[in-house]
Amino acid sequence: MNIDIYVFVTLLVLGYVFGRLAEKKHFKSIIEREKKYKDLLTFSERLPPPGMNNTDAELVGGSVVISVDYFKRIVAGLRSIVGGRLTTYESLLERARREAILRMKEAAIDKGAIMVINVKLETSSITKGKGQQIGSVEVYAYGTALSPIAV
Amino acid sequence: MKYENRTIPEGINVSEEHPLKEFFILALGLGAITILVVVMLSLAIGKLVHFIPFSVEQSLASSSFATDIADDVVLSKEQQRIEDYLQQLADELSVAQQLPNDMNIIVHYVDGDTVNAFATLGGNIIIYRGLIELLPHENALAMLLSHEIAHIKQRAPIVSLGRGVAVGLVLASLSGFGDSSVSQQLIGNVGLLTSLTFSRDQEEQADIEALQTLEKYYGHTAGAESLFEALSEGESALNPPKLLSTHPQTEDRLERVGRFNGSTIGAVSYKPLPAFLIKEEAFSR
Amino acid sequence: MLVTNIEIIPGKRVTTHLGMVQGNTVRSKHAGRDIMAGLKNIFGGELVGYTELLQESREEATARMVQQAKEIGANAVINVRYSTSSVTAGAAELFAYGTAVIIE
Repeated sequence: MNIDIYVFVTLLVLGYVFGRLAEKKHFKSIIEREKKYKDLLTFSERLPPPGMNNTDAELVGGSVVISVDYFKRIVAGLRSIVGGRLTTYESLLERARREAILRMKEAAIDKGAIMVINVKLETSSITKGKGQQIGSVEVYAYGTALSPIAV
Repeated sequence: MKYENRTIPEGINVSEEHPLKEFFILALGLGAITILVVVMLSLAIGKLVHFIPFSVEQSLASSSFATDIADDVVLSKEQQRIEDYLQQLADELSVAQQLPNDMNIIVHYVDGDTVNAFATLGGNIIIYRGLIELLPHENALAMLLSHEIAHIKQRAPIVSLGRGVAVGLVLASLSGFGDSSVSQQLIGNVGLLTSLTFSRDQEEQADIEALQTLEKYYGHTAGAESLFEALSEGESALNPPKLLSTHPQTEDRLERVGRFNGSTIGAVSYKPLPAFLIKEEAFSR
Repeated sequence: MLVTNIEIIPGKRVTTHLGMVQGNTVRSKHAGRDIMAGLKNIFGGELVGYTELLQESREEATARMVQQAKEIGANAVINVRYSTSSVTAGAAELFAYGTAVIIE
């Protein structure tokens, strides 16, 4: 039991320090890239803007799997006993969602698109077994990239 | 019709609360609740268990495996003699200790090197040769026996069984939901620590009662300290830290004996162990 | 704030499309509810606690999405969709997203 406590505390501290660093870094990079790709418009509507007839339409997508760190898992585990908002998982979802959209945008830019319409988000989770769980979330963002036809 | 993407401000989808703050609030709160529940359960069971008749405990014990081990071994003539002697000493001590009439003590002698002795369900006391060999005189052996008899008198085996079951149930009921394997471990450890402190109280009580018995039986308590010295000699290799151990630390116990011994005036004589026990010792070494 | 999952609102004209807005949340119920749900699993039937949980989560995700829309000056969110996942047992993870627009 003694050993268990040391292992537990070590994992907790490691999870907190590295998880927090990774999250900060990730958010920073997300915000940076969101600024960079600001000119590529994204909409969740089905119809292209009127007058945009001379375009190629192609499906683009971007996906990401993000795992939760040990510390967040502990906090979420404790929180789920009390009930309420699992704040530590919320930032996980937020990161995954924005990263997936960014990757979709990157894919669209590679195709020379100027707009992505009908964007949809799909989430799934990869969980392994009970007990030794790997809590991770996959977000797939996909939409139709509209790029002007090169004449 | 205009098409544009405006920048969405940060912080709408994530809460600003610092995760460490949340962690400490949750961990402390849930820890406190766990301790409270375990303490309340332990207290309630400690009271309730006294309504279970001793005969029920005895029938429970007949199916318990610890006594089976002791019973299955056919004792040699020599070993039977030791067991009979231990039984007789235990009976005499039971009288001095005013054990209730419906309780009776059965001593089992185990020919093993383990330095150990324990009381279990149904008034069964199991003593290993390894421990007896370390005892210098009968006074120390009597201290050991009365300590175990005190446990039986306070119904410690069935109380701890009941507590174990109840605490186990509460902790197991936490496992049914959430990603709780880890948080459950956290809470489980807190619960275990709490129940350990509880059984430490029983040990201290048993020590005190055993010392009172010695006082009555021999007229003094000198020699009791030899038991604890022998015990610490036997386990000095791996002495668990105080927080995690069921039994109180040897120093604490010796100090208690010292307080009792303070009343002893003049030189005291120890009653030696019977010859066959000493012979056994010499033989086995 | 008008929230809808259609694209063309009858009688209204969209003047400006402002882009995607999203809301997400992860919520759970307290242990008692989880235990009750576990029991209910034996007999079958509606898990009222979890229905409530998902409903609350959906409302919260929607509210966050609407707040994003408000912050960027929209007065309607059209083409709203929901998506769920399950990173951890006993919790509801909800996404709500749509296009923020200005209508007149």
